[in-house]
Amino acid sequence: MRELAAFAVSELAASGVEYGDARVEDRAVESMTFRGMRLEDAVDSTSEGVGVRAIVNGCWGFASSTGLDREAVSTAVERAVRIAASGAGKTGSRVRLSAQTPRMGSYSSPCIEDPFGVDKSEKMGLLEECSRIMNSDSAITSTYAQLHSERIDRVLASTEGTLVESHLIHTQPFLQAFAVHGGDAQSRSLQTGARAAGWEWIRENDLLAASERVRDEAIEKVMAPEGPSGVMDLVLDGLNLSLTMHESVGHATESDRALGWEANMAGRTFVRLSDPGSLRYGSDIVNFTADNTMPIGLASWGWDDDGTPCQKWHTVRNGIFQEFGTVRETALLVGRDASRGCCRAQDFGFFPINRQPNFYLEPSLEPVTPDDLISGIARGIFIQGRGSFSIDQNRVNFQFGGDFFREIRDGKLGGPLKKVLYGARTTEFWGACDGIADARFFQPMGLLTCGKGEPMQGARMTHGASPARFRGITVGGGVR
Amino acid sequence: MTRGEMLDFVQRVLDAVPVEHAVAELGEERSASVRFGRNAITQNVDTFRRELRLWIGDGSRKTEYRTHRIDTAAIQDMVREAVARLRNSPPDPEYVPPADGGQIYRTVDAWDESTGGIDPGPRMDAAASAVSAAEAAGAEAAGISRMDSSRRALATSTGNLCFHEATAGIFQLTVLAGSGSSYRSTVSKAWSAIPVRRIVDEVVAEALSARNPADSQPGEIDVVLEPQAVADLVSFVLYSLNARESDEGLTVFTGREGSRVASERFTLESDMNGEVPGTPFDRDGFAADDQVWIESGVLRTMMRDRFWAGKTGLPAVVSPGCFSVPGGEGTAADLAAQSRRCLRIRRFWYIRFVDQKTLTLTGMTRDGVFLCENGSVTPVKDFRWNWKPLELFSRIEALGTPERKGFMTVPPMLLRSIPV
Repeated sequence: MRELAAFAVSELAASGVEYGDARVEDRAVESMTFRGMRLEDAVDSTSEGVGVRAIVNGCWGFASSTGLDREAVSTAVERAVRIAASGAGKTGSRVRLSAQTPRMGSYSSPCIEDPFGVDKSEKMGLLEECSRIMNSDSAITSTYAQLHSERIDRVLASTEGTLVESHLIHTQPFLQAFAVHGGDAQSRSLQTGARAAGWEWIRENDLLAASERVRDEAIEKVMAPEGPSGVMDLVLDGLNLSLTMHESVGHATESDRALGWEANMAGRTFVRLSDPGSLRYGSDIVNFTADNTMPIGLASWGWDDDGTPCQKWHTVRNGIFQEFGTVRETALLVGRDASRGCCRAQDFGFFPINRQPNFYLEPSLEPVTPDDLISGIARGIFIQGRGSFSIDQNRVNFQFGGDFFREIRDGKLGGPLKKVLYGARTTEFWGACDGIADARFFQPMGLLTCGKGEPMQGARMTHGASPARFRGITVGGGVR
Repeated sequence: MTRGEMLDFVQRVLDAVPVEHAVAELGEERSASVRFGRNAITQNVDTFRRELRLWIGDGSRKTEYRTHRIDTAAIQDMVREAVARLRNSPPDPEYVPPADGGQIYRTVDAWDESTGGIDPGPRMDAAASAVSAAEAAGAEAAGISRMDSSRRALATSTGNLCFHEATAGIFQLTVLAGSGSSYRSTVSKAWSAIPVRRIVDEVVAEALSARNPADSQPGEIDVVLEPQAVADLVSFVLYSLNARESDEGLTVFTGREGSRVASERFTLESDMNGEVPGTPFDRDGFAADDQVWIESGVLRTMMRDRFWAGKTGLPAVVSPGCFSVPGGEGTAADLAAQSRRCLRIRRFWYIRFVDQKTLTLTGMTRDGVFLCENGSVTPVKDFRWNWKPLELFSRIEALGTPERKGFMTVPPMLLRSIPV
């Protein structure tokens, strides 16, 4: 792979491009899904190819091809240079990249036990037992149990002299049970998500115990009364908040949205280029830390697809917005000298774009438990996990659900509820946060499938939070 | 690879498989696009993928293997790897062999030679045209001009051998003019059939007319959905047309086959040789055909895989990849003129299920909402909604001329008394 990447760069340099880089990738995916008591899907796939970027007279060109041979590389280089030349001067704008010192090195994500080394029969046996547990009650009509593992080996080389490697292992378990009762259907899931880790992440999830919990809570949920409507206080767990922060903070603070580059598809953002350092995003206790160096993070690659080292910084500090996530091309346009290393593509076949980093809500430094948060609520709801989610294209108006709900009355947890929605406007919502539990209760959650860009491509990153309390939130829909 | 080379390759793979059942599928996809935003080119790409999918089964166990390593000399290695994986697979209680031999595939003309040539010139010219028109109007253009081609060869151990190729030209444009915006997405199998200049002029004018929107007022009001907005909702109806999930009590269609689910003005069907070309076969080599899913408001059939078909004694029904809602005559503006007071909605954004069982959705409006009243047209702000699309489609007052939106053709609709 290193030899092919170097070959691509030499071809790019020989063609006289202003800048060029090549990503050579080799991926393996193993995915097994039980639907009910049946192994519905068992897919093994390998994926290998090269993606080449070139700048000619200030215009990008990108081409990719499957296959790891010199012919595929040469074809990709030739196409990238040709289409870059075809676009040069067509719109009067020129691509400029922020400066980046050439890097050399190798990064490997943590992995104690290689998931590809675990016998398939052990994996299938585990999923079959999970399915048996979830289907052991007649109220459950449908279940899913899944294990997903990926190995990603990637080499990035550029005409500036960068030559870096990433070797990543990502692993994800998933369980879901649907219960039917009285003409209604409700589901409960295991949503701990993916992690840069090996089979140890599967063991840590204790899937057999989780199967019992998912089964029982799906039944509790379908038999529960519907949630109330009105303005009330909420305690949201880390898994629920992972999606809320992803949509209302992560996407809102991507520099390409602020620049209007996503206006046709993913949308724009209410955050303006002049807002860093002054926009109040949340209450004083709200701190969002972006961290592409966290070992378990799905966006921790060592270097991004610009060759920029992964970094850690504050997106929001003491409630004030600090900085956009950037790539080399956008950094200069939003007034920064250097990129924050947020340039990533789904794989070699996609042009890398500005993606969210790993980021999380900082837990309280003082001892605070979820019970402490609940005890301060006269009437409210405790929401666990992710459910329905929708937000406007400017990332202002959102409506979220959850996966499991419990009433809060007079400072204590009550019975389960179903069909709960909460809605708010982004800065008002984070401004209503008046309590966050401490790090003992922190839950990270890795997403494998954040869609953005055209052609649509996926990205992965990790979020996280401890349970947090929000005052005076509209529940039951109704936020226009 | 040529059509003949692709068909020969999948047949060679099948010949090397030592177990009873197999499906070999070789696919090639090329996608080239110019993306622009804020009046500048932001992407300019030309991508190519070739992948082999090999499904094998021994009558009770099955496995699937995919690879980009396409090499005749490596066929034996690939087959050996797949067979080794098969030995580790448990018996499948829902095992279904590949589609019976003798499948009769519909002839679908989905290929345009010029578009398949993936010439970068027209893509770049379209982007430059949008940017220059927006700049001249003091606005910002964002969008994509794209050409795709795909080719699939598939062979089954039961004797089926099929090939399909398709092209698509896609032009999407958003124009931002201060607080106003507009959008259009146009798809055709032939890039040359896309009227780029007309689209650019219309979208720029629409964005200018959408500036300074007023607040929208809650209450019941007639709504005109433009074709894009209709397509955005119909895709969720399609998602729910799953016979097995319905039989398991999980969807809005549970127990409703043969019953009224929408207005008699609403029909949802698939025409393999309609404006959206269909896909003649599925991944098992099973032949797709025309379908009527909802006929004059009555649910007629749902997608049903071959296992569930066998279990329920009903025919298997696969998605042909093309859908249409027949309409009438006229534009969205013509429909709005039939109402004394209505909201005209261009498209939706971020639609998600709130409750899959009742097919309740939430979403936002985007890129154009207008209050049409007594001949005047006033832009209003975007708003969030929580609606059940089947209830909306039960209040159809009139339908306009259908347009292609992605993989479906749909008309604009005038809906009576919708809560907003």
